Amino acid sequence: MVGLRPRNGWVIWFTLVLALLLSVAPLPSFMEIGRPLWPALFLAYWVLALPHRIGMTGAWLLGLAEDVLYGSLLGQNALVLTLITFLVLALHQRLRLFPIWQQCLVLMVVFGIAQLVQLWLNALTGNRPPTLVFLLPALISALLWPWIFAVLRSLRLRLNVN
Amino acid sequence: MLVLTVLSVVLMVVDARFDTLKPMRSQMGLVLTPFYWLADLPVRAWEGISDQFNSRSVLIAENEKLKAESLLLQRRLQKLATLTEQNVRLRELLNSSALVDEKVLVGELIGVDPNPFTHRILIDKGGKDGVFLGQPVLDARGLMGQVVEVMPYTSRVLLLTDTTHSIPVQVNRNGLRAIASGTGNPERLELRHVADTADIKEGDLLVSSGLGQRFPAGYPVATVKEVIHDSGQPFAIVRAVPTAALNRSRYLLLVFSDNRSPEQRANDAAQAQEEADRKAAGQQATPAESSTAPASGTPAAAAPGAGASGTGTPATGAATSVPAAKPGAAPAPGASAAKPTASTPATGVPATGMPATGTPAKPGAPKPAATPSSKPPRDH
Repeated sequence: MVGLRPRNGWVIWFTLVLALLLSVAPLPSFMEIGRPLWPALFLAYWVLALPHRIGMTGAWLLGLAEDVLYGSLLGQNALVLTLITFLVLALHQRLRLFPIWQQCLVLMVVFGIAQLVQLWLNALTGNRPPTLVFLLPALISALLWPWIFAVLRSLRLRLNVN
Repeated sequence: MLVLTVLSVVLMVVDARFDTLKPMRSQMGLVLTPFYWLADLPVRAWEGISDQFNSRSVLIAENEKLKAESLLLQRRLQKLATLTEQNVRLRELLNSSALVDEKVLVGELIGVDPNPFTHRILIDKGGKDGVFLGQPVLDARGLMGQVVEVMPYTSRVLLLTDTTHSIPVQVNRNGLRAIASGTGNPERLELRHVADTADIKEGDLLVSSGLGQRFPAGYPVATVKEVIHDSGQPFAIVRAVPTAALNRSRYLLLVFSDNRSPEQRANDAAQAQEEADRKAAGQQATPAESSTAPASGTPAAAAPGAGASGTGTPATGAATSVPAAKPGAAPAPGASAAKPTASTPATGVPATGMPATGTPAKPGAPKPAATPSSKPPRDH
């Protein structure tokens, strides 16, 4: 962290595009219900690691891309991702000091809130999932967090992203 | 945060209430196709590899099965030609409006909505292929849904079983009308507001009624699975299973309904026929056509069909076909005798095209028809 010049910014965007790809990759239908929130996970890591590089505007743009990709209401995922970024940014000083399992717990709550907002927006447009399983992706994303964290961290250190 | 939140809320409201964002959206949809293509790449690669290593015996078995199926379908088609003709005549006697023939375009599934609670799929045909909003989509077994978003090269289809979708149906057995709503379960539809005393029972086929003017009438939608009479409920609970393979079909058909009047269609068909005759007369020197024509009626029917696709029908030529009328399968003696059509003197085959249809037979169809054409008489 000597010079704070932005370096290798493409890595961030590359991983975010990868997350978008993963989020539309075909899955067997029994797994689809628990599809991890890939963009949210990747975004949360970058916000946590490099809060000066990627902020809420970046998250908003990513969310818009997600909206176009999913065909949902324009701005729906943008709002959700902005909310996640806001919460992670607000907590990031503390989150960085937490051990990894505690990070998982906090992120589970954050993702859960995001899914709730998603549910409200979906209910406004008329398709409400009939059960509570819409919270499952939050749980699965939180469980995936240690691996995402490790992979992206090694990537960041190796490529010296700043 | 506040600014962005307000911005997204405004965007959402605008997107939901007004049409101003639609063109922008459809343009952005261009980016989306390569995304889904990339995401689907591993699956495609796997399929390709497994195809490569598929054993020969499996392929032969599949080929046999397809041949047998094609034979059965051919036989049914021969009957269909006479039945259609009969139906048209009876309808004329009754002075009721004629059956409308539809054209179809074959599309391929390229993506499924990642949200498990909505049933929407992405197909590889879009505005450039003539797809329009609200267009009905079928697969080989029944209705699948309708187009809800059109982008230049792709479009989104809302399936019947989505919770926001309903379709007017009627019971095939007695014409009882009802509305089938999606439940969010890909294997279940529910009929709303069916009286407890209504004549509907397990196993009834529900077909689209054509009311509501969105779906063409008479396509199978679902079969009734159970009817529950609960005295505590004001209406009977009727559950049905969609006939279309909503979560399995890879190829689907987009329907263009043909709303010309029968006279117009007859005229168009006659014109197309004349043109084809002229063309055939010009080409008579070439031996290819005369050698295929005598084998059976079908190749001759395809030849004018190929000519007609340019004149009679507005949409794409190669991928279109008519479900109701592939007229040419001539071996059934009744079929050819019933048709008062302009025969083709150039090729010397009687009764090739039905006057009421004017739409082309699928160019690919005649090839399989040539082999089984000798067998059907044994079937009867």
